Parts: sequence; C-alpha cells; structure tokens
Amino acid sequence: MTAIAARPLYLRRFPGRTTLVVGLTVVGLMLLAALAAPLIAPYDPVFQDGTARLVAPSAAHPFGTDNFGRDVFSRVIWAARVDLQIAFLGVVFPLVIGTTIGTVAGYFGGVVDAVFMRIVDVVLAFPYLVLIIAIIAILGPGLKSFYIALALVGWVSYARLIRSQILILKSADFVLAARSLGYSHSRIMFRHLLPNALISSIVFAMSDMVLVLLGGASISFLGLGVQPPTAEWGIMVAEGQGFITQALWMTMFPGLAILLLSFGFSLIADGLGEWLGVKE
Amino acid sequence: MRTPILRTVVATAIAVLLGGTSIAEAQGVLTIGRREDGTTFDPIMTAQNVDFWVFMNVYDQLVRVDRSGTKLEPGLAESWTVSPDGLTYTFTMRDAKFSDGSPITSEDAAFTLTRIRDDEGSLWSETYTIIADMQTPDPKTLVVTLSASSVPFLSTLAMPGTAVVSKAGMEAMGQEAYAENPVASGAFTVKEWLRGDRVVLEKNPNYWEADRVKLDGVEWVSVPDDNTRMLKMQAGELDAAIFVPFSRISELEADPNLKVQLDPSTREDALIINHTNPALAKKDVREAIDMAIDKQAIVEAVTFGIGEEANSYIPKGALYYNDANLRRPHDPDAAKAMLETAGETGLTLNYIINAGDEVDEQIGVLVQQQLAQAGVTVNLQKIDPSQTWDTLVAGDYDLTVNYWTNDILDPDQKTTFVLGNDVNLNYYTRYDNPEVTALVAAARIEADPAKREAMYVELQKVAKADVNWVDLYYSPYRNVTQTNVDNFYQNPLGRFFLEDTVKN
Repeated sequence: MTAIAARPLYLRRFPGRTTLVVGLTVVGLMLLAALAAPLIAPYDPVFQDGTARLVAPSAAHPFGTDNFGRDVFSRVIWAARVDLQIAFLGVVFPLVIGTTIGTVAGYFGGVVDAVFMRIVDVVLAFPYLVLIIAIIAILGPGLKSFYIALALVGWVSYARLIRSQILILKSADFVLAARSLGYSHSRIMFRHLLPNALISSIVFAMSDMVLVLLGGASISFLGLGVQPPTAEWGIMVAEGQGFITQALWMTMFPGLAILLLSFGFSLIADGLGEWLGVKE
Repeated sequence: MRTPILRTVVATAIAVLLGGTSIAEAQGVLTIGRREDGTTFDPIMTAQNVDFWVFMNVYDQLVRVDRSGTKLEPGLAESWTVSPDGLTYTFTMRDAKFSDGSPITSEDAAFTLTRIRDDEGSLWSETYTIIADMQTPDPKTLVVTLSASSVPFLSTLAMPGTAVVSKAGMEAMGQEAYAENPVASGAFTVKEWLRGDRVVLEKNPNYWEADRVKLDGVEWVSVPDDNTRMLKMQAGELDAAIFVPFSRISELEADPNLKVQLDPSTREDALIINHTNPALAKKDVREAIDMAIDKQAIVEAVTFGIGEEANSYIPKGALYYNDANLRRPHDPDAAKAMLETAGETGLTLNYIINAGDEVDEQIGVLVQQQLAQAGVTVNLQKIDPSQTWDTLVAGDYDLTVNYWTNDILDPDQKTTFVLGNDVNLNYYTRYDNPEVTALVAAARIEADPAKREAMYVELQKVAKADVNWVDLYYSPYRNVTQTNVDNFYQNPLGRFFLEDTVKN
C-alpha cells in the first residue's frame, strides 16, 4: 500500500484516469493553440481578401475561406482564445457566488435557507438560455453582459449542490468538534465544511463549462455576445449558415472546434467524477 | 387468393383517389414560400411589404401602378378628370363587385380614403391630410377636393394603403374581424389564415377582372430560413419562393427544374450618417467617407455581383433617376488626406448593425475594413432589430445601414423622407440644408413635368454634393419558380401580378 501511495499521482492507476488524461490533453492542446495563435495562424483573422472569397479548403487555406475572403483556419485558432475565456470566466463567477450562498444557506438553515432556496426555485423556473438572453437584452449586447447574466443565473445550480453537501456534513463529528471549540461560523463554514463539500461542485463546473461554451456560442450566434469582426466559433457558425450549401467549411470547422472543446471538458468532468467518487 | 386481390384493388383505389385529388388541387393553386407571415389585411394599419405583397392581390385600388412601375393605370376608377387649378379630382367608378357580390361604389372609395386620413390607427394619415373634402353625388362618381395642388396626389392613390375596402362589410364585421378576413375587391379572397404558417387565398369570382385570373388559388407559406426555403424549391415542395439569397442565385440558375426571376426593384441600401456628430457635420469628412467606401466591393461580396453600385438616392429605373449623378471614385489615400486636412485623424465611429440581419452584418464588416484603410476606426455594435430604430430616432449612432423601397411611383415620397427635413429629420441623419428643403417643397407642386424633372435632378446632385448619406447599391427582387410557372413577377414597387400568373 505505502509503496503505491508513494508514486506520483500521474503514474498511479485510479478509476477514470484514461478519461481524465484524454480530456486534459484535448483541452490542453486547445489552450496551447489559443496561446500560440499568432504563431500558428497563417493569416490575420480579420484580413479580408476580396480575390479569394468562399475558397474551398486547400494548401493555402486548410479550412477554406469565408464570404469575405478571410482564412477560416486562422479564425478558428484565434477564436479559441475568446471561447476558452468564455468557458472559464462563465463558470468562475457562478461557482464563487453559488458556493458562497449554498454554504451559508445550508449551514444556517431556517429562514436564511428558505429565502435563498426560494430564489433558486424562481430562477430555475425559467429556461436557462431565455433568462440569459433577457438579461443581456436589458444590459446591452457584449461579453461583459454575458458574464453578468451567467453570474446571475448560473449560481443556482452550484448553490443547490453545495447546500445538499453541507446539510449532510454539518452534523458530522468534525463539525460538532469545531463548534464545541467555539470557532466562528465563518471559520466552520469556509475552513471546515466547504473544502469537504467543494469536490462535487468542481466536477460539476467542468461539465458546466460545456454548457457555458454552447451558451456563449448561442448568444454570439444571436448577435448578443461577441461583436463582429472578432472571430468566435458561435459567430462563425452563424455567419456560415447562409452559405451552408455551397461553403460547408465555414460552419463545419468552427462547429467541430466547439464539439472538440466540449468533448474535452466532458471527459475531464467524467474522469474527475470517477476518480473522486462523485455522482452527478 | 381473394384477400390479396381485394387489397390491391383497395390500395389502387386509394392511390387513385389521393393522387387524383392532389393533382386536381395542385393544378391551379400556387404555393409561394416567403420568410415571415403577414400581420394584417387592414391596408391602413401596416407599412410592411409582408402585408402589402399579399393584400394587394385581395384588394383593388382606384388607380394602380402598372407593371413597369413608372405609370399609373385605371383600377376601380375607370377614368378621372382634374380641374385646371389642380384642386378637384373627379373619378368615375367602373362596374365592379366585392367578393360578397355587392357593388363597389364611390361611397366605398370615399370611406377608404377617409379612413386612411382620419382613423387613429392609420399609419399614413399625414400623406392624406391634403384631402380637404370628398363628395359622392352618385354611386359612380367620387369628387375629391384638395387643400393645395399636389402633383404626387394621384400616385399616393396607388399606394397600397388606399386599397379599397367595403364600407358595409367593415361596419358589419368591425375593423378587427375585417383585418382577419376581409371582403375582397381584388383578384383573390382570403380562404384561411393560419397565423405564423400560411395564408390561403382563393380566386374571387366576383372580381371585375376575373377573366384575367388563371389560378384557382394562392398559398403564401412561411418558411423563415432561407436555406430551407430554397431546399423546398429544389425538392419541388413549393411552386415559387421569394427572397432568394444572393449567394444561391447562380446555383439555382443552373438547376434545370427552376427559373430564377430577377425583377428591377426600387430598393436602395444606403449608409446613414449622423450629421450631429461634430466630425460628421463637416462636409469634407462625409465626402472622405464616401470616397473611402468601395461600393463595387460591397456589390460583389454582399450581392455576388447581382446588385449595382448606387449613385443617387432615387433608385435606378424609378421616375426622374439621374444616371449622370456623381460617382466619387474609390480612393482611400485621398480620403485619408482629406480627413487629415479636416483635422480628423484617428476618427472613431460607432456603427449600428441589426442583429441577425446577414446583409447588414456583411456590409458592416466590409465598411469597417474599408474605412480602416482611410484611418477611420469603426466599432460595430449589433443591436436587436426592435431597438435599432429607436437608436436612429434618438440620434445615438454615427453610422448605420438602412434600405428603402418606394411605395409610390412619384419620387416625392422618398425625397420628402430623405431630404424634406420634416418630422423624421431626413431619415434621422439630421442633415439640414434649407435650400434643399425648399426645393423639395417646390418640386412637390411643380405642374410642368420637364421643370419638375429638372428639380429632382438638381436635388439628386445637391444631395450627392452634400453627402446627405452614402448611396451604396441597388438590388433587384430575387424570386424563383418551378419551370411550369409562368408570369410570376413583381413590379419595381413590389406588387406581385398574381392575376397574370399561370401554373401549367
């Protein structure tokens, strides 16, 4: 036992290892591509070449060109920066807010719990994307509004998840011990309870990234997110829609990129869940 | 042995019955695919083509615009005379009936015009306040007296909003019910309207020109997605489809089963400029912007070469269009130099785009890059279509693209809207040139056609010199039909002449 435990984590066998490794590789490669975009992309993503419109994939343009003569490959690579940012920032804010509220509600119970959970119920009563679109419509289009909308809507799932964990844990012996030692509420909540309750939220966050990514793509598709001419996969799919019968590459490649990144995040979520024994 | 035979017989019978009926039904009913469904059949309550294009085959008018879109022809009014002072118009009604069999009288015509002028819900009342009085001495005679002489008056009678409604029908049914299922004065009646899906029209046997109508009926079907609509055409599920995307035209033209019909339109797409922006208030800056924009590149990228570079606010082919109007050469370097001289280096402009409008977006992206070459930074901002108009009204923009299609054949309507400086502040550009405003008013009442034409040519020149906005391109109506459909066309004002359409 000790011999095995002493081996570094990445060499150890644990449930979900393959899934996790594949997922991390996919996301890692895309992250790398995004960071190295200026080096990888052969063209400026917004440069329009009027003489090379709707050119099919070739050596000069591996993913073809769009209706403005922009290189689709370069745009897909540059768009990775935007989309990874969307996936990350779109999850961080709801995670932080939801976790805090869920912990407080679960720990104190009673009126506090009732109030927060009714708010959660209200938010959940609306379809996710519709509510986000409504909030963006009020705040005005743009990524900033998208993040705010996600923070306002997305926290509820985390709050529910954490609360249920806290409810289970708060009668555990180590909590009773901490209480009897006279620790403050916040110390018990955030030092003792939260670290034990957080794992399931982290796993959920990974699969949430997929939803956020698709949400971001949908919002941009509707013209409420990233503004032209910035490359973003959702926008690219939207722009290509009108040309789908004669220039499939305009929609196919950004679509595949969305698929691939979602796939990566899903695998990470599954792998983590299996490893840490979290059931979604 | 018996059962299979019986089965075969029954199956054949069913097939014959089904096949028989569907062939019979398909024979004379033309299905047309379009983007969205209409909103009303009440002519005065709408200003939208989706409504006009359908109800113009349900109603007739006193005076109509002909196929060429440049002449007026008699409709329900057989003939008319104008008094020498240009104030009194006397119309003689022809023998015509509504779809319910009742005669169309001068009283119905007077009722129609009173409604468009006085009804609270009328979107067009302003145009018709010039009507001072209407008399109906007998059912065949309508006498209209104007408060001032107006050359475009007859043209405004051919505007879709003045489609003749039945006074008795409207009073019996009430406005709302009438707007759903009107008493028809035109070629077709409304058989069924499934909101959001389709409008089913059926031939009106009481129409005075019923002999001219070859179709038994028309179905306007909503197929919002352009690609889906074209696929349905290719699959033979629709007889005709309108709004063919520019990008699909060459492909559809190559299809042996389809006919692509490009009809001249009065549509002009223009770059709207907000003259209250301190930089854009300078004429040199606007001129530089005009020079920095490569209209030909827009024609090629957006319309796939089908449109045509615009050089005047009056569309090509419309009355008094000045072909010789100035076309500033595309010269980004000269534009840059002009901007420097004007002290506007590093100019940054806010450009509003209708979210979801493909053409708007494409123009925006192109203009952004073109102006960048002249050193102007353009920030594109997509806004929900329901809000873009408000931004324009509030003047909360620097640049935006909009289009206009004429509703009447006289240039006065668009000229007033674009240069007349009335309530809409010249299409919300806030362009203000008192001489132009005065000329617009003078041209409206000039009775001599030659002098009038000269005035409109002058207006086109001045507007171009002042760069009231940037004329971008003209584009045709783009429709497609199956090869067995003949005479499916629109006139430049957009009216479909379905009374002439044949489905073989």
